[in-house]
Amino acid sequence: MMERKYFLQLSSLGLIPMAVKAIIGPKKAKLKMPRYLTTGDTIGIACPAGYASKEDVAPAIVALEKWGFTVLVGETIGKRNNTFGGTDEERTNDFQAMLDNDNVKAIMCATGGYGSVRIIDQLNFTNFKKTPKWIIGFSDITVFHAHLHQVCSVASIHAKMCGSFPKDPTTADPIQINALDTIRKALLGEQLNYQAPSVAMNRVGEAKGELIGGNLKILENMSGSISSPDTAGKILFVEDVSEPLYNIDRMFCNLLRAGKLDKLKGLIVGSFTSIKPDTPDSPFGKDVYMIVMEKVGKFNYPVCFDFPVGHQKNNVALKCGVMHELMVNSDGSILREIV
Amino acid sequence: MNRIPPYLKKGDMVGITCPAGYMEAKKVKACIKALQQWGFEVMVGKTIGSKSNTYFSGADEERRDELQAMLDDPSIKAIICGRGGYGLSRIIDDINFKKFTKYPKWVIGFSDITVLHAHINRNVGVATLHASMANAFNDPLQEKYVRMIKKALEGEGMRYKVRGNRHNKKGEAKGELVGGNLSLLVHLLGTDSAYKTKGKILFIEDLGEYLYHIDRMLLQLKRAGVLKNLAGLIIGGFTDLKDNSRVFGETVEEMVLRLTTEYDYPICFGFPVSHGVDNVPLKVGVEYVLKVDKDVQLDHLTYVTK
Repeated sequence: MMERKYFLQLSSLGLIPMAVKAIIGPKKAKLKMPRYLTTGDTIGIACPAGYASKEDVAPAIVALEKWGFTVLVGETIGKRNNTFGGTDEERTNDFQAMLDNDNVKAIMCATGGYGSVRIIDQLNFTNFKKTPKWIIGFSDITVFHAHLHQVCSVASIHAKMCGSFPKDPTTADPIQINALDTIRKALLGEQLNYQAPSVAMNRVGEAKGELIGGNLKILENMSGSISSPDTAGKILFVEDVSEPLYNIDRMFCNLLRAGKLDKLKGLIVGSFTSIKPDTPDSPFGKDVYMIVMEKVGKFNYPVCFDFPVGHQKNNVALKCGVMHELMVNSDGSILREIV
Repeated sequence: MNRIPPYLKKGDMVGITCPAGYMEAKKVKACIKALQQWGFEVMVGKTIGSKSNTYFSGADEERRDELQAMLDDPSIKAIICGRGGYGLSRIIDDINFKKFTKYPKWVIGFSDITVLHAHINRNVGVATLHASMANAFNDPLQEKYVRMIKKALEGEGMRYKVRGNRHNKKGEAKGELVGGNLSLLVHLLGTDSAYKTKGKILFIEDLGEYLYHIDRMLLQLKRAGVLKNLAGLIIGGFTDLKDNSRVFGETVEEMVLRLTTEYDYPICFGFPVSHGVDNVPLKVGVEYVLKVDKDVQLDHLTYVTK
């Protein structure tokens, strides 16, 4: 009886709803999808990180125009401040202008490198959140994918950037051309479906969840900050380049210990290219497959290796924040966007 | 307040273990000899000069079991790590600190051992010793610093005076000392092993990193709120730095000052904590007083109030 009386008193004071709310936590804003593009729409190109010359982005402009889009070249293209595409202020201002320009329906980053994290907290996403647009890139641009997902709840496109467009498409590797064409499909709202080969180390299963991810180093770099994505119930993809095995292991340890791997619905491992060699007399003794399976061994969601995402020609467009279905079986893996 | 493990007396036992990278048995000989000359007994773990043919000094279980055994063995009064490398993150969650909490002892090391310092500081509340490890005893240039480990273990009050650096930000700070290797400090962010740094004096050092990468790590500390409420900041050595063909264009000093402009705590540069020759023992979790004026002085609080 005492308990019931106490309960009634609390509810009459309106304390129960508050207590419940505190347990559940604030409801996360529903993910906003930017509008898909139509022919004639404008795509802005900018350098939030490393520098790119006008020449570097010229093939991308040709291709984007060929796809039927209009291109707005940002002020940071051709700007250089040491390794950066302009000073922090210049890169912030250019990106801010693109975010706030209603005519710009998508922003393709010129290149990765380093620098997004230096401007992300200076950018004002108020207008962007009201009228979101597609932001395209990968590698260092993972900062944006993580931040847009976690802080703005806006979908974005993890894909190749201006620097990946070949000068002469007729002689380019068809794999590269196909990967670039997935950006066009993504922007036009085509449903994206991908396959990956059967890999012995895969863990079979099916998963449904929001797709998030990007560069492993950057995901670790986001740890502890407001931009670090909540991964519970989601499908995570990771890739990296030029890291030694011990560091790949250490980064997965961070994700595991930071609670980013235990509540996943599925894990997609892209390419780990140009792995820095071990010193000959002390080999790390585990490859990427072993490193990953060791970390997720106690969980039971599907794991797909050798997915076409990473610092390589076969780097397909992935919609971050959007619901996907992952099927991993003995024939291989399929990732399907749920429309 | 963190508990201070008992200081060592002659005849006390020091354990040597390799919880991370591999180390040859012969590389630990100088350390054993010195510890014995100092009057300590030495217990050398099996991870030293093990049969491992990989990067690690042994399988995770072997490294973990040995560290666990040394933490639990009441006859061992201090544990000095053979060397760093990488490996503690793989075993830290499987270490049980129950006995160690009851009967704390000194844990000594740096670099990858930062994981132990931070984890113990955050979760166990026992002071540890950030200092050179067994491999440093082979280097005659480091003799001065190696001898300081003896003083630290015996509980001698220590005062470090360092010449001023034109980048220093003057001021005085009093607080618990925490810190270690920058790469490891950022690696621990988001996990239960990350230091709580509010009101504390933080020291950082690193080696072999690209300048842009140092910037990214410092920015991560800042974005994770680590730099915001410090009492003071000590920048140690950043040795063997690398740069790209696209030069970064800023020094470590400039990066630190840019990222801390809005904070008014004292900052000193070039403090002798590093992967280079200069590496003084620092007691993590112990209160210190940092004075950054024309010169820099770092004292144990107890030493100052004595």
